[in-house]
Amino acid sequence: MNPWIPFLTLIHREIKRFIKVIIQTVVSPIISSSLYLLIFGVSLGAKMNPQNEMPYIAFLIPGLMVMGLINNSFQNSSSSVVNAKFSGDLEDLRVAPITNNQIIWAMGVGGIIRGATVAIITGLVGFIFQYLTTSTVMTIHHPFLFLLFLILGGLIFSFCGIFVAFLAKTFDQLSAFSTFILLPLTYLGGVFMSIEGLHPFWQKMCHLNPVFYLINGFRYSVVGVTDIEIWPILLVNCGALVVSFFMAKYSLTRGSFSRW
Amino acid sequence: MKALEVINLKKNYINPKDQNQNVQALKGLNFDIHAGEIFGFLGPNGAGKTTLISTITTLEKPTEGDVKVFGESVLHNPLKTKRSVGVVHQEVINTGFFDINEILEFQSGYYGILNNQDRIHFLMDRLALLPHKYKKVKQLSGGMKRRLMIAKALVHNPRLLLLDEPTAGVDVELRESLWRFVQELQAEGTSVLLTTHYLEEAESLCQRIAIINKGELHFLGTPNDVIKKYSTKKIRIKFNNGDIKELICSAHEALNQILKTNNIDITSVFDIQMFEGKLEEAFTKVVNQQ
Repeated sequence: MNPWIPFLTLIHREIKRFIKVIIQTVVSPIISSSLYLLIFGVSLGAKMNPQNEMPYIAFLIPGLMVMGLINNSFQNSSSSVVNAKFSGDLEDLRVAPITNNQIIWAMGVGGIIRGATVAIITGLVGFIFQYLTTSTVMTIHHPFLFLLFLILGGLIFSFCGIFVAFLAKTFDQLSAFSTFILLPLTYLGGVFMSIEGLHPFWQKMCHLNPVFYLINGFRYSVVGVTDIEIWPILLVNCGALVVSFFMAKYSLTRGSFSRW
Repeated sequence: MKALEVINLKKNYINPKDQNQNVQALKGLNFDIHAGEIFGFLGPNGAGKTTLISTITTLEKPTEGDVKVFGESVLHNPLKTKRSVGVVHQEVINTGFFDINEILEFQSGYYGILNNQDRIHFLMDRLALLPHKYKKVKQLSGGMKRRLMIAKALVHNPRLLLLDEPTAGVDVELRESLWRFVQELQAEGTSVLLTTHYLEEAESLCQRIAIINKGELHFLGTPNDVIKKYSTKKIRIKFNNGDIKELICSAHEALNQILKTNNIDITSVFDIQMFEGKLEEAFTKVVNQQ
């Protein structure tokens, strides 16, 4: 049996699943990001000091893109697992000749595609807003790094979604992770501001936040500025990828496949 | 060739309500299923039937022992054994996002089969699902959901089909058509492991049955064997003078022996009606005698 067929089938299924509810999975997050751009970037941003010698909106766009990437890749895999727990689909996957690695990577790819779709459309909307407000056109500074961070961010948070969804026993546990861990880490990771202006203590605290490295890496790839060097960023993100993969793998081995 | 070998299979659980209590769901089961056989796996609720199916399909890991599917261990070569097995779960799976056609296409893909439309069309046609091809699961009736479960289990043409109470809550017409289909599959060489609470179905369909209770195997043989051994038959004798006598005797006793034991002269008998024992009665005795 060709092992690529089950793997590609799973990816196909993941993509088809989120396309079936595209209003909820893609359109809704893009509207949220557009509102952030309008309020913080266009309206309040005009009164704010430039960040790293660039208009605030140009600084904000990559932050919002990566926020869309994180949230949507996480939600894609976690909702896929949770829906499957409700419907009983997980039993189908478990009894089929599919390995845990195939499940994890297929959900990862599904997460990248949804997260990247939201991130890129958010970027396009942002570029329009930036042109309308500052008459400048933004270009991607490092296209290779841009692609790399889209893939790394999408995979890391898809794997986290799998981990949390498999181990969660209730919806409360799943939403608690999003509310109390993912959301603060994203907001405090530098989506809206540079850490330059923070007290040294809080700057050090930011360095403990893995999301901070992803946001800075992504921002560096788009606008060419970052709060830290690129190499530690790459190192932390690659480390996060390995850790999140093994967390996802652990959850599939130890987590519950039974119905909610 | 044996389709399935269950070797000293044990499964222990920790009771979720009492962490100190160890529940033995399977206590060293041993039996096998021949290729091309319909095998009934019978037992009361909680006997361990679903645990066995979960072990064969690798949803559960055994505490001890092994299960082999066509000679391959489910512990050591699960990917290979899974390809040979199709399973109809007891509970209906309610895939919400996709229509029936998509569900069966994905299911084919999970088993490494591309462009499986011919097989999908055949199964939908055979199971009367074609008119509902583009309906989602939630739009189907209970019986249609069951048929979809069966189509899913058969989409990759498995050599061993596991049916875990497939007719629970299903109307008579569907049950009959399902059993006809199962017999056709058997004629094509598919082996079937069936669990059901409808014992008359097991009696008419299965070449052999196993009866388990509380994780232990209590009987293994043909339905006739268990009926002969554990059930009684009723004999209604009408005499030439109009008298009627009813006798209850063991299912394996011969008629002349019964007449002799009861001092009945055959020349005085006008008519004899015999009511053979049923599997249900034998099953109840096997389960209760423990």
